[in-house]
Amino acid sequence: MTKYIIRRLLGIIPTLLIIITLSFFIVRVAPGGPFDTEKKLPEVVMRNIEAKYHLDEPLVVQYGRYMFDVLRGDLGPSFRYKDHDVNFYIFQSLPNSMILGVIAISISIIFGISSGMLAAVKQNTWVDYLSMALAVVGISVPLFVIAPVLQYVFAMQLGWLPTSGWFTNGDGWQTILLPAVTLAFADFATIARLTRSSMLDTLRSDYIRTAKAKGMRSSSIIFKHAMKGSMLPIVSYLGPAFAGIITGSVVVEQVFRIPGLGKFFVQSSFNRDYTLIVGVVIVYSVILVIMNFIVDVVYSLLDPRITYK
Amino acid sequence: MLNHKNGKTKQEKATNEFNQIVVGNSLSKDAWRRLRKNKMAVISVILVSIYILLAVTAPILPIYPYDEIVIDHQDLPPSLTKTAGELMRDKELAKMYAQAWRQGRLVVDEATNEMLEDWVSRSKVNKVWDYLLPEGNRQLESGTFTWNASEQRSIDSREKRIANEIQISIEKMWLKDEQGKLSDVKHLETDEIVALYAKLLGVQANLLVDQYTYEIEMQLLKKIKAESTGLTDDEYNMMLRDQLDSMSTKNYDALVKENIYEKIASTIKDMAMEQLGTEASQAETTYPLNEKVAVTEYLTASVKATKMHDRRYYLGTDSLGRDMLSRIIYGGQVSIAIGFIGTLTSVLIGVVLGSLAGYLGGKIDYFIMRVVDIMYGLPYMLLVIIAMAIFGRNILNLFFALAIISWLTISRMVRGQIMSLKNQEFVEAARSMGASTPRIIFKHLVPNSLSVIIVFSTLRIPSFIMTESFLSFLGLGVQAPYASWGSLVGESVGGMTLYPWRLFFPAIVMTVFLFAMNFLGDGLRDAFDPQSKNQL
Repeated sequence: MTKYIIRRLLGIIPTLLIIITLSFFIVRVAPGGPFDTEKKLPEVVMRNIEAKYHLDEPLVVQYGRYMFDVLRGDLGPSFRYKDHDVNFYIFQSLPNSMILGVIAISISIIFGISSGMLAAVKQNTWVDYLSMALAVVGISVPLFVIAPVLQYVFAMQLGWLPTSGWFTNGDGWQTILLPAVTLAFADFATIARLTRSSMLDTLRSDYIRTAKAKGMRSSSIIFKHAMKGSMLPIVSYLGPAFAGIITGSVVVEQVFRIPGLGKFFVQSSFNRDYTLIVGVVIVYSVILVIMNFIVDVVYSLLDPRITYK
Repeated sequence: MLNHKNGKTKQEKATNEFNQIVVGNSLSKDAWRRLRKNKMAVISVILVSIYILLAVTAPILPIYPYDEIVIDHQDLPPSLTKTAGELMRDKELAKMYAQAWRQGRLVVDEATNEMLEDWVSRSKVNKVWDYLLPEGNRQLESGTFTWNASEQRSIDSREKRIANEIQISIEKMWLKDEQGKLSDVKHLETDEIVALYAKLLGVQANLLVDQYTYEIEMQLLKKIKAESTGLTDDEYNMMLRDQLDSMSTKNYDALVKENIYEKIASTIKDMAMEQLGTEASQAETTYPLNEKVAVTEYLTASVKATKMHDRRYYLGTDSLGRDMLSRIIYGGQVSIAIGFIGTLTSVLIGVVLGSLAGYLGGKIDYFIMRVVDIMYGLPYMLLVIIAMAIFGRNILNLFFALAIISWLTISRMVRGQIMSLKNQEFVEAARSMGASTPRIIFKHLVPNSLSVIIVFSTLRIPSFIMTESFLSFLGLGVQAPYASWGSLVGESVGGMTLYPWRLFFPAIVMTVFLFAMNFLGDGLRDAFDPQSKNQL
């Protein structure tokens, strides 16, 4: 087990290296740069700016310098925002995105598993149909449609919740509800469907029948025996779920005006702020890779049939 | 191989021991039977067919072209009964009543006043408009409210415009000679058409030569510049000279003719507009008009004219006055096309790589699967966003970016299928008969895993459309003047308090399509593989 964890940890390194390299070269190979303005800058000024950010050096040297900095935890200066470096902006906006993401994934897991289990236990009743209908909506309706529609209905028409804003700016804790629910919707749907089908499979298996035959109460069969056995597909889905939350947060932060990393990301892509783009991608990837790692470890702990050498 | 072919042509009907004819049942036949029993899947098939039909026939449907803009028709609400002119009038009147209410000239009772103030403070101006329009009309009729002079003037001038403004297109033109015989202007010789234009303008024909030569050169130069970028002006000019020199007289004449024809058409259009615009003809013409009009003594044109403000917008208009219905249909064309072609590309890449990996095994398998593993670990949507933002936002880039990341899952699935099939007897039989590797893969293995591929592709299309729309929503996908469902939703988010129809119609249309595709995919999966019911 320890060996498996160590090997898995070592496997993270090349993935991260590839991500950094890819994003570094994508932004630099493209035509146009961060200092292109409507009016052409004088040659000398341009050369000075390029020298300041080491853009005049060969690409390989730039790459080496950047890698060295990243290893020390320094993501470099921002090309667009003169006041602070990339680390500052990322640490300022990352907590907001993290809070949103954690709440969203919690909502989707809690509600997804409970409604999926309910649907399986009460198969072919209205509970089952309702939760599966909701799940189909969650899978078919894209996030960027759900977000403005919820905003329109609950904030603008009914006036129950604020339209946009964020609680760290003093807009009240209610600001977090709509974005979190929106972000949770798609994963809730998938988790509910997964839970239902794997729960149905488990409930038909031999060991559940044995437990029933022994006269156990149905509640303890479901929660003690069936639940543990049917959690495996959900755990393995969590990896892609985290990736979905990250991409989804880009849209949700845009629609609800949340000062998070996703908003920064789209903005800096338009601005061609090289270091900020690559910095955000690195942060996202580290989060994603760590989450995938945790999911794998949990999976191996849950499933006694898998042995790792 | 030859015997095999002969055997196939002379197929006998199989019978069982009771001499009854046995009809074979293939997997696809069986699946088709099961699919038809699935009500949701059948409805989905019908819906998807309607969507595709609408998308394909968009250019010949009786809708306004998506790039045709009547700037006066901005932000009109959807209406099944009212014409654009009536909606425009309502909109303007509501605004004027609101202004009059603000100035205290339109008086309402205390409670209503408070309600209106409350709406204003919550920035629900559209509710104020909706309330004041019937209220104002009522008061105007009962005489408790009147317009002031300047307001009345602007109302009158708008009424006149709504009643009179027309839109004209010239379909065909004929030249009348001395005997009164008509000949199509399009079929005239080049010098005749130039002479005609000169006569129309009342100038000498040779004076026109300089002008059209210059215009044609500019036109060619523009084309050259679009084809090759980054050259100096001298080089462009040289290319232009080369092209002009190598061009035959016939081709050059055709260019001249085209140029002059357009000019005559636009002159005629102006003249027809003037004629129809006179008070006398206003009264006696009925619209829409579609008839031959003698514009001058020697020129007759078939003129199509409609009242500009008689248009109907069943789904409303957007902020530039474009018809939402046609925007949604043309947007669907883009979205559906990207969904289908993108899926096809990614499935092709995935099938080829997956089947190679599965059949050949060894180092090739290892290499392909490692690439897939690594790409799975990438936050690819982020990379796509960067690539789109930096490499330019056009449909081709979008398509490319999506295709290179979406073949991963299908290649894994095909690989698994092929690995389980490749040791079966029919493959061994093919191999022992000397079939080549590509033949075995594409004639024997891939067709046998087709059911998995079909099911996967159907489920892939909605997610492809979602990804494309996601990018378009962020402003990174399809760019104006083209639209896709995603960009329509994205554009409307800003103004959704005042113009909710701009958000809801594209959202509903898109959602219904995605629903249908998902149900169809689920239905296909259940049909091909009944055991895996409701699995994801």
